[in-house]
Amino acid sequence: MSGAATISRVCVIGAGVMGAGIAAQVANAGVPVLLLDVVRDPADRSAVARGAVERMLKTDPAPFMSKAAARLVETGNIEDDLAKVADCDWIIEAIVERLDLKQALYAKIEDHRHEGAIVSSNTSSIPLDRLVEGRSEGFRRNFLITHFFNPPRYMRLIELVSGTGSDPAQVARIADFADRALGKSVVRAKDTPGFIANRIGTFWIQAAMNAAFDLGVSVEEADAIAGRPMGVPKTGVFGLADLVGIDLLPHLKASLLATLPEDDPYRAIARDEGLIGRMIADGFTGRKGKGGFYRLSADGQRRKEVLDLASGEYRAAAKAPSLPGKAGSGDLAALLALPGKAGAYAWAVLGPTLAYAASLVPAIADDIAAVDAAMKLGYNWKWGPFELIDRIGADRLAARLEGEGKAVPDLLRLAGGRTFWRVEGWKRQFLGLDGDYHDLVRPEGVLLLDDIKLAGAPVMKSGSAVLWDAGDGVLVLEFTGKMNALDGEVMALIGKAIPLVAARHKALVVYNEGSNFSAGANLGLALFALNIAAWGEVEKLVVAGQQAYKALKYAPFPVVSAPSGLALGGGCEILLHSDAIQAHAESYIGLVECGVGLVPGWGGCGEMIDRWRKNPAMPKGPMPAVSKVFETISTATVAKSAAEAKELGFLRPTDGVTMNRDRLLADAKARALQLAEGYVPPEPPQFRLPGPSGKAALMMAVEGFRARGLATPYDEVVAARLADVLTGGEADPVDVVSEEDMLGLEHRAFMALVRDPRSLARVEHMLETGKPLRN
Amino acid sequence: MKSVVIAGYARSPFHLAHKGALARVRPDDLAAEVVRALVERSGLEPALIEDLIVGCAFPEAEQGFNVARLIGLIAGLPLSVGGMTVNRFCGSSMSGVHYAAGQIQLGAGEAFLCAGVESMSRVPMTGFNPMPNPALAARSPAYIAMGDTAENVAGKFGIDRAAQEAFAVASQQKAGAAQAAGKLKDEIVPIPTKGGLIEADGTLRPDTTAEALASLKPAFSAEGSVTAGTSSPLTDGASCVLVTSEDFARSHGLPIMARVVGVAISGCAPEIMGIGPVEASRKAMARAGIEPDQLDVVELNEAFASQAIACIEQLGLNPATVNIDGGAIAIGHPLGATGARIVGKAAQILQRDGGKYALATQCIGGGQGIATVLEAVR
Repeated sequence: MSGAATISRVCVIGAGVMGAGIAAQVANAGVPVLLLDVVRDPADRSAVARGAVERMLKTDPAPFMSKAAARLVETGNIEDDLAKVADCDWIIEAIVERLDLKQALYAKIEDHRHEGAIVSSNTSSIPLDRLVEGRSEGFRRNFLITHFFNPPRYMRLIELVSGTGSDPAQVARIADFADRALGKSVVRAKDTPGFIANRIGTFWIQAAMNAAFDLGVSVEEADAIAGRPMGVPKTGVFGLADLVGIDLLPHLKASLLATLPEDDPYRAIARDEGLIGRMIADGFTGRKGKGGFYRLSADGQRRKEVLDLASGEYRAAAKAPSLPGKAGSGDLAALLALPGKAGAYAWAVLGPTLAYAASLVPAIADDIAAVDAAMKLGYNWKWGPFELIDRIGADRLAARLEGEGKAVPDLLRLAGGRTFWRVEGWKRQFLGLDGDYHDLVRPEGVLLLDDIKLAGAPVMKSGSAVLWDAGDGVLVLEFTGKMNALDGEVMALIGKAIPLVAARHKALVVYNEGSNFSAGANLGLALFALNIAAWGEVEKLVVAGQQAYKALKYAPFPVVSAPSGLALGGGCEILLHSDAIQAHAESYIGLVECGVGLVPGWGGCGEMIDRWRKNPAMPKGPMPAVSKVFETISTATVAKSAAEAKELGFLRPTDGVTMNRDRLLADAKARALQLAEGYVPPEPPQFRLPGPSGKAALMMAVEGFRARGLATPYDEVVAARLADVLTGGEADPVDVVSEEDMLGLEHRAFMALVRDPRSLARVEHMLETGKPLRN
Repeated sequence: MKSVVIAGYARSPFHLAHKGALARVRPDDLAAEVVRALVERSGLEPALIEDLIVGCAFPEAEQGFNVARLIGLIAGLPLSVGGMTVNRFCGSSMSGVHYAAGQIQLGAGEAFLCAGVESMSRVPMTGFNPMPNPALAARSPAYIAMGDTAENVAGKFGIDRAAQEAFAVASQQKAGAAQAAGKLKDEIVPIPTKGGLIEADGTLRPDTTAEALASLKPAFSAEGSVTAGTSSPLTDGASCVLVTSEDFARSHGLPIMARVVGVAISGCAPEIMGIGPVEASRKAMARAGIEPDQLDVVELNEAFASQAIACIEQLGLNPATVNIDGGAIAIGHPLGATGARIVGKAAQILQRDGGKYALATQCIGGGQGIATVLEAVR
């Protein structure tokens, strides 16, 4: 991380939700951070900042990736500790949005900061020029706006705004640190109100809410239309308002109205809906309050209820209307053409929002690529506004606007007959303001499979996996099934890929760009086989997986797996069989088979014991590694970050972590090429296991959990099978247990459990509800 | 019969395992501090000591390698002083006292250091490699978890949750009062740590209320009555008593705290191990020729409130005589160190508050009880 090397200590001032969250993310990057806030209690002067850290340790989803990260945060207060900013390379101000307070703080910071230290504001509404009024030229040169999104750990966008006096080298330094160390995607925005994402996002929310009231569209209908079908998270707008806090909406509006140009179209649509005002006044501020547009019924049954926009009363939620044909699956032209309220509502949301976005370039950003990136990363839209326009057709959009007597933005006319995005010469290109197409240039060190796919045909493919050529002798194995689930097709492709890589290439990287690396074996397929008692088919898949993974492990070339998101069950086991793992920091890894009444069946048990017994901190003897692995697998523990995966032993100490999702493949490829130099496959491990004595000890612990009501009767059955495998079955501690023996034990335990109807019930329940059955 | 006496007592502060101030102290270093201090305070010429007996319930890892010998070497005892580790789980260091008394009777020495140690932070309560005999485990509750035995005793003897909680509150209050009155100070040997000198117990919760305890979840059984608040906490600590013949004590100017007049061991069913003190105490009292109503001081280890109450009731003890300075629910129970602590404490109170006879007794995992009867020497 070259960026991390240049920023070795950070100070965040303001320990509210944003400031504290930013501090946590800096700590997640392994960089020490000083978190300061005001003195509220004279007897306990740093209580505000310390309280923020303590609160974050209890927050879910967690702002910290590990407890070790939390220890990197030093807390203090502005009155006593401001001099400590002298040791900090980057000072981030995240206090309340008041110009006078910010300016006063900067004056004090100026007294203490070292020359070359960068100061940035997390403001979302105050222009940069106002912020630096009265400051020295040196201060101005090192000042910029870094606008994080909430929650800072999970939202990938940072809008970076530099002033006319900002030193480009310092801007680049922060951009690089934010990218590599904090893992954020940096979008350069201009110094205009709301920057990019909130400017368009606030307009979109207002347009969608107005239309729902005006057209008599219910809350659940609105979100069903303006959510998934438009590539927006299923929360839509009303669900989003509940999530971020309905009371935030008037603040956003006020701050934009105070600063937007007089002729800005937002002014025409901004309005105070009486119902929303009453909701806020009565404490119905969303999930954090008594309820919002949605709530769970208070009668103990927790049924979903929605607010009726006309009456202002809650009622039972109706089933979301399903949209006919392609309208529900991303065909926006079909969505807009729907008859009745649905089509009208879709247009009322999309038409003005997309026109507004098109009217704002180049005022808010240099190009459309920045706008699309900001909305995708800051609001989790699947498509940015210009990608949405392409899906409708720029001409069709312009014609409809014109037909309704609305202004057609110049940019839409410029696109006339063309798309904003295209693929040309195996590259993604976007339409520039000059009317020409320009290559989308990725930052140095960013390699995306999406780009590789544009450049040529796959090397090989099966129904559930594809092999791509990432150049330099490295092939990429991509899973393509639903949730990237693993099945016989994946195993078959691995079987074919190995001789190919061995003959013509240097290394293999297992990687994909789904939101989840892999949720494990295809349970739906498994359930089908189990329901017709096709034990032979299930058994074939167990054997195929074991063979494929071992073949990967002992292949004459290095295999590097690069997970992001969920890597569960079989998806975790492929990691365990790799020579190295390069994990995205947001990787959620676990062996969760016990949750569905099974045990890991593709070699995970032996691989985990091997990892733990090689850990120098483990006590000697046959039990410690076994106990540790038993605890992790029997409780289906999932690491909530790559850092936690290291603590749980899924990752080795030598495995790498990449903070920026977009850099994962490049990092994995580099690791693979490094390993390829003089590569020698590993030697199979030999285990000494405790046998039945060890199983007796493990089962005593399980009985204790049973007695305390923490384990169910069937948990005990599954745990006993798992204990059999992990303790080596009938092994005696003086004997050597081979890797083959371990696979045999897994195989037998797995096949015994799949025949138990209680496992079947668990699998069914998981598929239906996504939650484990506690039978 | 020779007269055998307790001629000195000291212990480390007791601190909660894992989160307490002693979690990062090696148990051999911890015990050596206590041994060295006791020898120093006694003024005894160390070369006159025959042997150092160390009780430890899980003598492995940092408590392994015959830790008694190592503790002697760390403490700077002369090379001529022996070292033996004994294990009878929670009864380990009281067994050390019994062994020493026997050796003195045999004429196999005049002065013994009987210590105990347990770092429950650094060596877990099952050891690192628990490997029970599967056949025995299948047919016997030999390996039953301690919390389950506390539930069994509560059920069998009808000790309800409220009674246990009242007992725990009393233990906390007695210990808090003793600490406030400076009654725990003299026995404690300050322990140097990286975080500074540790001079007092870190286990006490004198503000504990019955209401607070009533809100805790059962710790061992969803339907059970035993909670963390009515159990002794996992604890780090070390203790030591000096056991000599009375003649030796007199000729070397040692303080004679009490005379050992009866000892006993008694096995019982593993699943109700908490009741072990009953038979062991009866045997020891019979050997001392006394009845329960002659006891002025009782140190009855509070592994759990349920078993302590059951033992008091079964033995017909006067509750006012039991655990006068508080018991293990408040002070803590570093397994191997508790026996020497309660023998030393019983002798100390006998000497301090007056009275004629004292009993120190405790239950032992796997189903045993151990007891020691002391007599005042004036």
